[in-house]
Amino acid sequence: MIFDSYEGYKQAGFKPKVCILGSGPAGTTIARKLGAAGIPVVVLEAGSREFSDESQDFYRGKTVGDFYFDLDITRLRFMGGSSNHWAGWCRVLDRQDFEPKAWAPDTGWPISRADIEPYLKEVHDILELPDFRPDVPVSDDIRWVQLIKSPAVRFGEKFADELDRSKNIAVVLNTYATELIGDGKRVTGAKVWSNGQDAGTFSADYFVTCTGGLENSRLLLWSNERSNGGVVPNAAALGRYWMEHPTFEGGNAILANYSEFEVDASNEAFFSPTLAAMERLQIMNFGIRLIESPYPNVKKLIADLACTAPNMAEWMSSQLDQRLRCAAQLYVAWEQAPLASNQIELSKTDVDHAGVPRIELHWKKSPLERRTLIEGLKLFGTTLAQKNLGRVRIDDWISNGADYPTNEETAGHHHMGGTRMGTDVLKSVVDANCKVHGMANLYVGGSSVFCTSGQCNPTTTITALACRLGEHLGKVIAV
Amino acid sequence: MSRFIRRISRRAIVQALITLPALSLFRNPPAPANPDEIDRDEIVEINGWILRRSDLA
Ligand SMILES: Cc1cc2nc3c(=O)[nH]c(=O)nc-3n(C[C@H](O)[C@H](O)[C@H](O)COP(=O)(O)OP(=O)(O)OC[C@H]3O[C@@H](n4cnc5c(N)ncnc54)[C@H](O)[C@@H]3O)c2cc1C
Repeated sequence: MIFDSYEGYKQAGFKPKVCILGSGPAGTTIARKLGAAGIPVVVLEAGSREFSDESQDFYRGKTVGDFYFDLDITRLRFMGGSSNHWAGWCRVLDRQDFEPKAWAPDTGWPISRADIEPYLKEVHDILELPDFRPDVPVSDDIRWVQLIKSPAVRFGEKFADELDRSKNIAVVLNTYATELIGDGKRVTGAKVWSNGQDAGTFSADYFVTCTGGLENSRLLLWSNERSNGGVVPNAAALGRYWMEHPTFEGGNAILANYSEFEVDASNEAFFSPTLAAMERLQIMNFGIRLIESPYPNVKKLIADLACTAPNMAEWMSSQLDQRLRCAAQLYVAWEQAPLASNQIELSKTDVDHAGVPRIELHWKKSPLERRTLIEGLKLFGTTLAQKNLGRVRIDDWISNGADYPTNEETAGHHHMGGTRMGTDVLKSVVDANCKVHGMANLYVGGSSVFCTSGQCNPTTTITALACRLGEHLGKVIAV
Repeated sequence: MSRFIRRISRRAIVQALITLPALSLFRNPPAPANPDEIDRDEIVEINGWILRRSDLA
């Protein structure tokens, strides 16, 4: 069932066991799992079926530190969430991403990749993915990795009919959960704002917040403040360890043979470091994306090379005339070191229309990440040169130690951390089952539970974790 | 006497200054002139390019 208003839903007299907040990839997946298990579940969705400026306005916020996207641009607040404009790049976090790294504090998950692998078949069906090909080592340091460009499933569109027909699932649109109420052991209800006004308190046995990688922290911080710590009793890490995938053009390459590597339908290829290389250089994970650049760019690059290695450039130029060379741009996206200082706070001055404080995001890239960018490009360049696959030129701003450019891609719109998973209540918010520490009936879905980000886009892992949480919750409720 | 010592030490200083660079030359033998001894596969970074030394020939 889909209701366009909270008032309409109330008249239906539906009695849910579980209340999910948010209908993005995480919320929709958990709802479908619970619905399939015969558990009545309600999904409260703040937005409507379509984009609206009024709804987006609730997402406005402020960033302190490094340049970042406007917070009402980097996500979408309507049915289906940010899946309404995601690009569809898919890959699950690597096995090594779950392991602690001795050289980077606060890394390591309480679960391993094996814990989400049983759900990957379902994830492939949901996201319409073919099987992933295993990584291919290019050298001891660099491996070819596959990111699949999926059809970018819009969860709202794809599952609307199924949700509407479901007897166990009620999606309630235009219903903003402004606050959870808790007594330090359980959440007792959610305050709801609908039709421009307070609409009372919603009750259910279990609550799952799936409001996105920024909003989960905001909602829990605000709820905790209002409930005097009654919603997240161990709140030391709440809002902290927030992460993105910084993304910048890092250089160019002249390649002997573009088809040397398997490229995808968009003619792109991706490369990551081996764990041994990360360990040796003490860097984070990264992904180098190779994008073939137009013919005139090769000429420009070769002209540049001529200043440094004239004979090599001359030889390449002759090859170019025979179309034996091509050029590629290198985009680097990397894993951020999890830092407690990168955090979501509640604004002290600015509130939305419902009176909820807006987000103040504190975000800065660290020196370890800068080193990851430089060493990553060097590793890739060294591999290409050693194997005679091509030559890499690192962009001047990186070689010269200049600031990050502000006119580039900047980051992936991947909002991770803030309610991270862990066993130490001082450094995490949820346990290995995504249950908030100390609370009997409060769970979190989405990338806010990520402990580390790896190098790849998050939604495949979000969907796998959502399948796992849905199944777990189903078992808890069945007992 | 003291002038003599001063003269000696000044001479010693001058001698030291002359011999030091020579000694350091002996300590660091000059780069091999023979191209066969250059590691042509060595990876070098010049002007942002990551190249093999042989690319520079
Ligand atoms: C431009 C762009 C490109 C992207 N490309 C990729 C990509 O290629 N690959 C990839 O893996 N990821 C990509 N992403 C990220 C991807 O979109 C997110 O990871 C994913 O949508 C997160 O799913 P979610 O369900 O956790 O949260 P969201 O999709 O943010 O959904 C949250 C939902 O909760 C609702 N909500 C919020 N607050 C409340 C509240 N208080 N009460 C009730 N409802 C509420 C919102 O309206 C929304 O529907 C991209 C994102 C953007 C912006």
